[in-house]
Amino acid sequence: MNIIAIFISPLIALITGMFFLGISRKIMARLQWRYGPPVIQPVIDVIRSFSQMSISHGSLFDFGIILSLTGSFVLILFLPIGELCPLTSGGLIAFIYLMLLGPFGLALSGAIAANPNSSIGISRKFLLSLSYEIPMLLVFLSVMTYYGTISLVDIVKIQASSGWAIGSWTLVLPGIAYFLILPAILGVRPFEVVKASQEISSGPIAEFGGKHLAFSTLQHALHMFVGLALFVDIFLGGWTLFGLLDFLSGTAWFVILGIIIFLLKMTVVFVIEIFINAVYPRYRIEQAMNYLLKWPTLISFIGLIIVVLVK
Amino acid sequence: MDRNQISKWLKNPAKMANKYSFHVVYFCTGCGIIEIPPSITTRWDAERFGIIPVATPRQANLFLITGYVSTKTLKAIIRTYEQMPEPKYTVAFGSCPINGGMYYDSYNTIKSLDKFIPVDGYIAGCMPRPEAIFIGVTHLWKLIDMDKADGYKRYREDYEFYRENQEQLFGELDWPPLFQNKES
Repeated sequence: MNIIAIFISPLIALITGMFFLGISRKIMARLQWRYGPPVIQPVIDVIRSFSQMSISHGSLFDFGIILSLTGSFVLILFLPIGELCPLTSGGLIAFIYLMLLGPFGLALSGAIAANPNSSIGISRKFLLSLSYEIPMLLVFLSVMTYYGTISLVDIVKIQASSGWAIGSWTLVLPGIAYFLILPAILGVRPFEVVKASQEISSGPIAEFGGKHLAFSTLQHALHMFVGLALFVDIFLGGWTLFGLLDFLSGTAWFVILGIIIFLLKMTVVFVIEIFINAVYPRYRIEQAMNYLLKWPTLISFIGLIIVVLVK
Repeated sequence: MDRNQISKWLKNPAKMANKYSFHVVYFCTGCGIIEIPPSITTRWDAERFGIIPVATPRQANLFLITGYVSTKTLKAIIRTYEQMPEPKYTVAFGSCPINGGMYYDSYNTIKSLDKFIPVDGYIAGCMPRPEAIFIGVTHLWKLIDMDKADGYKRYREDYEFYRENQEQLFGELDWPPLFQNKES
């Protein structure tokens, strides 16, 4: 079972991530009163990128993007998708360590390309990820303190018996804080500072063509999946649905329905993020840092204090 | 997407993906810039055909040259074209890149763009309306289907011809040749 899960869960993540990229373009088009591209357009783009000749700027240029993609793939294995979780040890600590591997790999290959636009993009990416990691650490700390465990599987199991975390008044502030930094994790507006194509020619991926571009698109899809799945797992109860599915427990249908419910919850959160993306303009990088280090940090810190006092 | 295209997708996915995903570098040199924003935004919505503007030539596979080409901008056009990864397609938009258009007697306007970089298709008119871009794109689909949009192959084969024309115009070029000579 575990061996199958190692193959299946990255596949689910990849398909869902590409689907999210597709529906984001479609929803954005519909909000702007356009017809929009087909939902599979990102898949077509990736196939095209793979078929194109790619220009390499050295071995580190190839290595960096592979490292970035590998980091995202490894993160998926620590993530319970429904009841599917290949690596149950590690839990939230693994996420604290490995979340920075994606930006780091992209920065390696962008830096070796020696394009001024990608240098600006890399510095923005690191500043942005450092500023959203502080509230994220506080959120993780309060969740770990409240549930008394670092394992994501256990957190989901406790929520199955005691209700969603965002419904309990102690964890509502960390939930709000994580929702506020979610656009920065996904890289959508108002925090689209990294890949600002009108300003800095799509930033770190400015020199990427062909296979490198395809890999970076896949990495972006996986990174989006990780950010959304963490929110659903920690705060929206993972695969649980108010105990409606308990009569099926123990069967294969339970696992499959759990995965479908999990993906549906992620889709709902993602569509809300797309609405936010559609109505907001882009922050400058110092405005984004000011915002991220002020409001989500404050909210999650208050949340941590409340959790420590209650515990 | 038509259901009868599935067999084509299975036979040659790279070609079909190249057809339905054009990432475009717009080189807006003259009055052609006016026609581009309506065609990529809400009014005419080029994204439903898979056409999306990108910021760098590395990510692009369609090069749209709109408006007249002066001697100075031709240098930038050549360098942009050489930076694009293959397979790549070029479409010249408006009558100026075809034969000079209203600048037929100008001393520093390129009369025929086809001498310097290979052009896969022209959209004639002064100016063509945004619908003409879509007609041009659907025509380019047919050309790709028949393997006739082979500008990048011609550039590789006849590189000496194009390089000679470029050097004749600019004198000494300040970048090395993209392809090495076959004889040497």
